[in-house]
Amino acid sequence: MWERTLQDLIRGLRANKKEESKFIAQAVDEIRKEIRSKDMELKAGAVLKLTYLEMLGHDMTWASFHVVEVMSSPKYHLKTIGYLAATQSFGAETDVLMLTTNLLKKDLASSPADVAVSVNGLSHFIAPDLARDLSGDLVAMLNHSRPHVRKRAVIAVYRMLAKYPQASPYALTRLKDKLEDSDIGVVSATANAMCELVRHNPNDYLSLAPQLFHLLTTSSNNWMLIKLVKIFGFLSPHEPRLVRKLQPPITELISTTPAISLLYECVHTCIVGGMLESASGHALAETCVTKLAAFLGDLDQNLKYIALLAMVKIVPSHPHLVARYQDMILASVNDQDVSIRIRALDLLTAMASQDNIQSIVQQLLSHLVHPDAVVQTSATQSLNASLSGTTEVSLSPSKSTAYRLTLAQRILAICSQDTYSNVIDFHWYLSVLVDLAYVAGVSVGADIRDQLVDVVGRVRAVRRRAVELMVSLLSDESFIFKARDEGSCAEVLWAAAWVCGEHCGELAEPRKLIPFLIKQSVLDLAPETIAVYLQAVLKVFGVWTAELSQNWDDDSLPKVKEIVEEVIEALQTFVSSPDIEVQERAANALQLFTFIRADLLSYRPHPGSSSAFSEDPAYPKSLLLVRPLFTAYDLNPVNPLAQTAIPSPDDVDLDAWIVPPPAPEASQLVEKAIQENEHVPKRRKKGKGKAVNSTSSRAQGEDVTPVETSEERARREQARAERLERQRDDPFYIPVDKPARGPAAEDIDSIPVVHLDDMPAMSQVPSPTPRLPSLLRAPAEDTYASTGYTIDRDGEMPTDVKASPSTAVSRRPSSALTSVSKNGFAMPPAASFQEYVAEDEASKPRTPGPVKVTRVKRSGAKKRTVEAANGGAAAA
Amino acid sequence: MIHSVIIFNTSGVPRLTKFYSPIHKSPQALVQRIYQLISTRATRLCNFLDAPELEEFLARGSAGEEQEKLRVVYRSYATLHFVFVVDASESELGILDLIQVFVESLDRAFENVCELDLVFHFDEAHHILAEIIQGGIVLETNLEEIDNCVQQASQLRKQSFASANPLALGGSGVGPRSAGLQTPLNWLTNKLTLAGGARQ
Repeated sequence: MWERTLQDLIRGLRANKKEESKFIAQAVDEIRKEIRSKDMELKAGAVLKLTYLEMLGHDMTWASFHVVEVMSSPKYHLKTIGYLAATQSFGAETDVLMLTTNLLKKDLASSPADVAVSVNGLSHFIAPDLARDLSGDLVAMLNHSRPHVRKRAVIAVYRMLAKYPQASPYALTRLKDKLEDSDIGVVSATANAMCELVRHNPNDYLSLAPQLFHLLTTSSNNWMLIKLVKIFGFLSPHEPRLVRKLQPPITELISTTPAISLLYECVHTCIVGGMLESASGHALAETCVTKLAAFLGDLDQNLKYIALLAMVKIVPSHPHLVARYQDMILASVNDQDVSIRIRALDLLTAMASQDNIQSIVQQLLSHLVHPDAVVQTSATQSLNASLSGTTEVSLSPSKSTAYRLTLAQRILAICSQDTYSNVIDFHWYLSVLVDLAYVAGVSVGADIRDQLVDVVGRVRAVRRRAVELMVSLLSDESFIFKARDEGSCAEVLWAAAWVCGEHCGELAEPRKLIPFLIKQSVLDLAPETIAVYLQAVLKVFGVWTAELSQNWDDDSLPKVKEIVEEVIEALQTFVSSPDIEVQERAANALQLFTFIRADLLSYRPHPGSSSAFSEDPAYPKSLLLVRPLFTAYDLNPVNPLAQTAIPSPDDVDLDAWIVPPPAPEASQLVEKAIQENEHVPKRRKKGKGKAVNSTSSRAQGEDVTPVETSEERARREQARAERLERQRDDPFYIPVDKPARGPAAEDIDSIPVVHLDDMPAMSQVPSPTPRLPSLLRAPAEDTYASTGYTIDRDGEMPTDVKASPSTAVSRRPSSALTSVSKNGFAMPPAASFQEYVAEDEASKPRTPGPVKVTRVKRSGAKKRTVEAANGGAAAA
Repeated sequence: MIHSVIIFNTSGVPRLTKFYSPIHKSPQALVQRIYQLISTRATRLCNFLDAPELEEFLARGSAGEEQEKLRVVYRSYATLHFVFVVDASESELGILDLIQVFVESLDRAFENVCELDLVFHFDEAHHILAEIIQGGIVLETNLEEIDNCVQQASQLRKQSFASANPLALGGSGVGPRSAGLQTPLNWLTNKLTLAGGARQ
């Protein structure tokens, strides 16, 4: 049998393409034999073959010991194979690395060629231990007589410092000296390594500035100049004086250098180094943006790409300069190159403002609508491509799912930035959201859903329009048909049902909506959506019947009966849903409707009697049954700080055990011993005593055992006292100096219960949403100026927190409490928008605290952030 | 820093892979993903690869610290794609030049380099790369300097091989393309040295 060389293996692989895995398995078997051979040549050959196979995805970690063996060969050609295999296969978790310390020490003291190989290898697989043990040897290499070795050593020292920063005191000064090395290659390599160091800790390297500045003004090596300019880009934000110093040379480079890469790097450094923000920076900013715009218009796609990349960074400081080129940027979104598109998207996101948001979003939406339009515009290009013989099928980027998803998410991100600070027309935004749901074709439905709920919650003026749109969504079967498809965005129906239910007061014809909510095809939707549908049925029905009762007419009775029958029939199917949430909601609704049906059946119209008996209204009383269940409180956006602003009640000890943990073995034994001493033979009691006594002493007070007689309690107390006495000097117990709460703590009055006394009775519930009547009940939408939307940016805060901190001298102050007392009334960071209208501080009645608290918790889940809204999906 | 250097051909078969920092997905998956994206790109597009599909591979750093995005820069030559994955301390256009330097160095070493050279001398390609980039940091960009070092190292390997195998012709190392092909004699001497070894 002949051994295969690497060449044979590769030839074999090429010849056996059909059964490659079989061939490789056979080859690996051979390698396993060869690698154990005592012949170093053969072993090295096997390692080399294995390294090749590793590139193709085959494991070689099992051979790492053999790799070390080959590395230790004194023959240069074998040693290089060993080091190559090591750089390819060793990682931080390779255990044989610790065997290599002496080998590396030896190689570092060997011939220049060996040193070069080992230093190169070392910079790949250096680990903290190796770095510590070899730091001295590596630093010594910085003064090697050969520039080739010095330059490798510079980089190896950088890698060593990354793993073993403790070496920096003596390594760094030596490294800095290399910036003045006689060999330009060494200086360049040092600049490269410095660039990495500076990027991670700019402040530690400010002292290098003079040296680097000297290099910047004297060197002509473009590669090194790029690196130097980069380094100054990292340094100058930390040293304002550098900005002034750098401006002349960089401006000169910008105007004189023929190398575009260096020019670009200078422009980039001007931007990230903050050189444009100084007083004299404006002219420089003009120059930079003009240069970038020239790149943007260039035929070279690479320049276009980097121009967009740099413009993103200039937008925050000089938006007006970039805005001049908005058309060019918008055109770049149409580029056939997806890389450029993504950069242009980034830039558009950064430059979106109230003035241009509509055109930007419209443009992006058009991509989603007509994926083919782009192909048509680039027909000449595709023709060119086919003429030039390229056979690649260039897929239109608009058809790629990942790109569409990015596009859809971008649209949402642009609009919802800073709580909708860019959006001035919310009617427009709602229609964008609905359009997006129709055209996206990717799974962005959950995001759209959250946005819909959020916008409708925050912007009151848009609710009527929202309800109209949502009704049209609910009545559109197409979402339900494709609900189970990927990317159907059927989640918007969740929002549609929720909005219609919650704001059903805005519905023009509530009754007509009910059939859409209970039709059989709804069963195809996701369970959480069905649950919201069922809830919406109740809400809509409640509002409708309440309206009916206002001007009751006995002719309405059959209509109500008919709907009730319809709903009950539909609910029968939902009740047997496999999803527990749907089942429960359906069962609840079913019971309510059954009750209403009974009431309607027993109702006898008695014309004219209503005036005579005022307690007995003319309409069936059950018409008013449902609405109060949902309209007692308005559902508002809640401030993220609202929960923390509420002081925790004094008598709630969150650290106390609710269910005490099981006792550890040792204490059980002790307990047993005590109880035996006390001659309590009954097993049952002993068990009980164990359970009670083993709780942490703090929890004992709370642990009320109802059947415990006073005799037993006395015995328990005694046992406990004895135990504490014994543990006082026992080093294994931490003494408890907190006085134990005695049996008095079992006083029922002290159990913290939220008082619900002030909960208004059902009949007294005020008519819904007495606030901002002008906005809510505005007669016509057209009367709003386009800027007239009030966005509830901050959300609701509990009304009674002001009173609380004074009383809050808690036994053990919680973190929430301290934050409140520190800030006083913890308000959110001040919003800087003039539209902010502090919501109804005055008009709102001071509702009793505890009830408000529960409300906040409930609705707080779906506010502000997308994540929160996701989490709260089931809460509503 | 340069995080990886990958060469693969137009069918997605890797010809050289070098990872200077650990990646959290399998290297093969990364190569395949980049291949899929590059192979569908037309020739006249830009040399930077930005695609939503790449995000999961290129996001670095834990969620807490600032996420650093890596950039994929590539150039295509005949049947080979040269891909560099780099971070923010490298200049985008500079890397494009560096790829050119790498290819020219290969060309000098192999005399009119083609894919087969890289296939049969993948170790040699690694040695050339090691003269340009070490541990993810650019070591040298001067073509002459690189070429000298490559030649010297290759000479040393040849000498070492020759002294260890006195009967061998050719042997490992760069040179005319036929050097790697085994002449019958070379093939025989290999067997002889092996037979002389301590095998059963």
